[in-house]
Amino acid sequence: MSNRRNRWSVAADLLTVALALLWMMPLIFGVLMSFRPQAAPITNGNVFVGCAAQLSPAQQALVDQQEAGQSIRLLGCTLTLSNYQAAWEVAPWPRFFLNSVIFVVGVLVVQIVTVTMAAYAFARLRFPGRDLLLIVLLLQIMIPTATLIVQNFATIRQLNLFDTHWALMLPYWGSAFGVLLLRQTFREVPYELEEAARIDGAGLFGVLRNVYIPLSIPAYVAFALVSISSHWNEFLWPFIVTRQDFARPLTVGLSQLFETSDTGANYNNIMAGTIIVVTPLVLLFTLFQRRFIESFASSGIK
Amino acid sequence: MDTASTAPAPAAPTVIRRPVLQQLIPYFLIAPTFVLVTIFTLLPAARTLRDSFYEFRPGRVPPPPEYVGFQNYIDLFDTGHPIVSDFTQVLLNTLYFTLGTVVFSLPIALGMALLLNRRLRLLGIWRFGLFYPALLPTIGAASLWAFLFSNTLGLLNTILGSFGIDGQNWLGDPNRVLVSITVVNIWKQAGYYMIFYLAGLQAIPKDLYEAAALDGAGFWRQLRSLTLPLLRRTTLFLLVVAFTFGFQTVEQLEALRGGLTNQRGNLVLYYIFQRIPQRQNWGYVNAMTVILVGILLIFTVTNFILFERKREHE
Repeated sequence: MSNRRNRWSVAADLLTVALALLWMMPLIFGVLMSFRPQAAPITNGNVFVGCAAQLSPAQQALVDQQEAGQSIRLLGCTLTLSNYQAAWEVAPWPRFFLNSVIFVVGVLVVQIVTVTMAAYAFARLRFPGRDLLLIVLLLQIMIPTATLIVQNFATIRQLNLFDTHWALMLPYWGSAFGVLLLRQTFREVPYELEEAARIDGAGLFGVLRNVYIPLSIPAYVAFALVSISSHWNEFLWPFIVTRQDFARPLTVGLSQLFETSDTGANYNNIMAGTIIVVTPLVLLFTLFQRRFIESFASSGIK
Repeated sequence: MDTASTAPAPAAPTVIRRPVLQQLIPYFLIAPTFVLVTIFTLLPAARTLRDSFYEFRPGRVPPPPEYVGFQNYIDLFDTGHPIVSDFTQVLLNTLYFTLGTVVFSLPIALGMALLLNRRLRLLGIWRFGLFYPALLPTIGAASLWAFLFSNTLGLLNTILGSFGIDGQNWLGDPNRVLVSITVVNIWKQAGYYMIFYLAGLQAIPKDLYEAAALDGAGFWRQLRSLTLPLLRRTTLFLLVVAFTFGFQTVEQLEALRGGLTNQRGNLVLYYIFQRIPQRQNWGYVNAMTVILVGILLIFTVTNFILFERKREHE
């Protein structure tokens, strides 16, 4: 009996590993590709055996010549940083990176303010029209911003904000999802704590700062992680409201890499660019893996 | 469950008349959110609806829009129409893409969750391996796959080749593009849905399984009679999420089939986006948006009725 269970357990372990490896294939091959010299292209098959492709001496000489000083030999294959250099030169990555950071941080900071204010009002205050207004707010969740690009694009034009950082951030400053999430959390804060703070002379601001916000940190973290990752990955909106590199975030920058390579995509460069773009979030995730997963899980159900 | 309903009524009933200014505080607090929601959701939604009933003619001095009733909508489903003949096709593509994703990614996600919800060495690595696609920007995910799909260098054709199957033109053949982007989407979404199943599995009391095991129920029996029914709500929720995501996907197309003009593999939001610039399309893109939002509303309202309301009353 227990022997049988063990056998199943081993089978499940193997399946897990196999599935994880299968799922990691695109990343693994992307990383491999990004370090492979362009003169030694990956042709059918040789990607399997890592990079120990049977290069002819002439080909190897060409690789050595082109990658002079940038490549290393590892287990019989040449690895190079020249794709990163090339990808780096095609596009102003530091600018894109900065834009992504401005976008994500700018959205999050304002969101936290607007969301905290509204969440408190909906959680703890009574006022005529409250329930109706909450339902109106829900419309923002029901009609995703992405679907209203046509009219929102026109609005940004009218506001004269086309091709600015403001255009990226503005539509995301109000977050019904955040309001609902924090409202739920605030309602679980014992009301006696607010009363005690009020007796001590705290005003609205003091109550929020000393009672509600400190007691809701996990909800804020969850909200922040979801907000950061979704805006970091946002593509269509930035793509539409920006034209120049000045305001474009990383995702749009990456798509430009596809456009610049019209003579059949240069996958070595594209992969290097892709790795540049995805690394920050992957790092963030590995650091806060547990938090991330919990946040995503809670964000969906709320 | 809901502590607030049993807690003392916040800001006790207004027996004492509070000063006007204080009565305005709630509105002041929600004002920023509402101004933003009005400008970027409510008004645009209303204008979308309005503009969908007008025809916009091009010209150096464009003539004022003309009210045409439902003509734009009728045109959208006219497969011989000069501007929007592909809309029906694109709508069906989107449905295919979304259904294809749901049918495969949800069972895979459940399988992943079952596999990870055990005692496992190096759990972090395997969890990362299965979840990381959900974290990538879609455009990054798509570009990783662009290489796997590519005709001559692509891994996929290499593998097929080693089995003696001819390589497929994954991205160039209009009939294949849809399959290709669906595969990428399954790969990307499965890990995301997995975490909801994981959360659901962890909420199931262990003694239920122990009791089932004592009754002699094996793995499949437990899965069918215990796990699946208990995860029904999660599954329903994920169905809604998967559908709403599916109808909003665009990035893969930008990366995987950027230059293609054929509409056989196109999806609805990307199709709308491609048609924004021309003035004569304005009525049509708005009508299409109305249809898209209408479809999404069906799912999100379902979601709300099934889950949010229940939450409130639990």
